[in-house]
Amino acid sequence: MYKSTGFISFLLRRVTGIALVLYLFTHMWVIGSANSGADVFDSRLNFFQSTAFKFAEIALLAAVIYHGFDGIRLLIVHYFNVTEYRKSLFYAIFAASVLLVIAGGIPILLFALEG
Amino acid sequence: MVTATIRIQRFNPDVDKKPHIGEFHLEPDQDTTILDALQMSKSQQDGSVTFRRSCRHAICGSCAMNVNGSNMLVCNKPLAAVLDKNRRVTIRPLPYLPIIKDLVVDRSSFWEQYQRVKPWLIPPGDLPEKEFRVSPEEVEALNNAETCIMCGACYSACQVIGMTKQYIGPHALLKAFLRVVDPRDTEPGERLANLSGSDGVYRCHTIFNCIDACPKDLNPTQAIETLRKLAQKRRALDDARNERQKYIEEPVSTG
Amino acid sequence: MRIFLMQRISAIALLFFMTIHMIVVHYPPFHIDFSRILERMDQPIWKAIDIAFLFFVLMHALTGVYMVITDVERFGTFKRALAVLAVVIGIVAFVYGTMTVMAFQAPTTASAFVP
Ligand code: FES
Repeated sequence: MYKSTGFISFLLRRVTGIALVLYLFTHMWVIGSANSGADVFDSRLNFFQSTAFKFAEIALLAAVIYHGFDGIRLLIVHYFNVTEYRKSLFYAIFAASVLLVIAGGIPILLFALEG
Repeated sequence: MVTATIRIQRFNPDVDKKPHIGEFHLEPDQDTTILDALQMSKSQQDGSVTFRRSCRHAICGSCAMNVNGSNMLVCNKPLAAVLDKNRRVTIRPLPYLPIIKDLVVDRSSFWEQYQRVKPWLIPPGDLPEKEFRVSPEEVEALNNAETCIMCGACYSACQVIGMTKQYIGPHALLKAFLRVVDPRDTEPGERLANLSGSDGVYRCHTIFNCIDACPKDLNPTQAIETLRKLAQKRRALDDARNERQKYIEEPVSTG
Repeated sequence: MRIFLMQRISAIALLFFMTIHMIVVHYPPFHIDFSRILERMDQPIWKAIDIAFLFFVLMHALTGVYMVITDVERFGTFKRALAVLAVVIGIVAFVYGTMTVMAFQAPTTASAFVP
């Protein structure tokens, strides 16, 4: 196993990517209950809006944000000659992701705690 | 100087089931290289320690190994630079490749993939009487790729190689890049067509390990990015190359 | 090459759609029920946006999973079958998702949702 920042970014990209695919199909199934009418929709969604799921949503948010920023990083590498700055680029997007997860996580946390 | 501990990953296929670590205690000088340390272990303590080396000055590419988790040439690296604070260093064979014995790995997939990209130059049919003339800018664009010594450090640092040996690999893609951008080569379009299959440039996941590992400071990742871009305009590249080769024998104006 | 391009195109599209989705749809967090969603989904423009979003998200997810699987040497031999499977899953999921988007319709029995 060859460890490097590149490997960490790759691993995180893959793990968040696979997690998001699994989430996507669950998400489609949950929202898909709208096909069977408003009542089914409301009852199924109620189940997924318990406090535990709201905490899980923070993890979801983190996955989305990291995967997105990593994508931006890759696009930058594809279209500009910046391989020299590969490490700083990774640290920068990682820091940006953390900040954004905190900023986005606080409202979710507050909402989860108040009800 | 104080004692240094050299931890070498040992594996003898005749007796061992799994690789294990062997420790050697040496008294290195200030200018002992890692390779010297290996050689000292072999000659003074255990003659069965097996590793590859030839030139001892970083040009043959036989001595690439994994030292403290990073791939490097051991012949041009001072031992002092890799010792940790307990004065220890761990030397393993190149990762992701089958081990033959101790630090010697089987590099056949490396060479097979290399053959696959036709690493040689395909010159125009009628060779110039005297020489090809190439401008300094065109040489600049090669990004020193011609100085690759085929040591395999990048190849075995690549996580994609860890998953599939079908991938062409950074070493061969760098060589392909060298040929594709070389103004003397006649078949850049066809080369690119062969590189854009599912085992080629699009299998690279931009992990950057190849740059980190390269002992010659080359940039396989940027080469792959360039090939990706060129692969999307093969026709235009072929035409431009044909145009260029019409005056390949004439002196280039230097502005 | 096709897969690579599909991934990058959908990635760029997703940067745009995902931002909209996160900010407009999920921020600030609220308790989801059918009538609440309907306020937004009643407008045809949102239906169009969500269908486009669905299209790109499926493209990105399926090409991503395809790359993850074919990266492993052992599965490389099933490339063709995997590609066909991905297309089938994509079409089924797209149709199902589009039906879901369309299902957000004010009920014709006009009693419950008239303000
Ligand atoms: S021995 Fe030749 S490169 Fe190290």
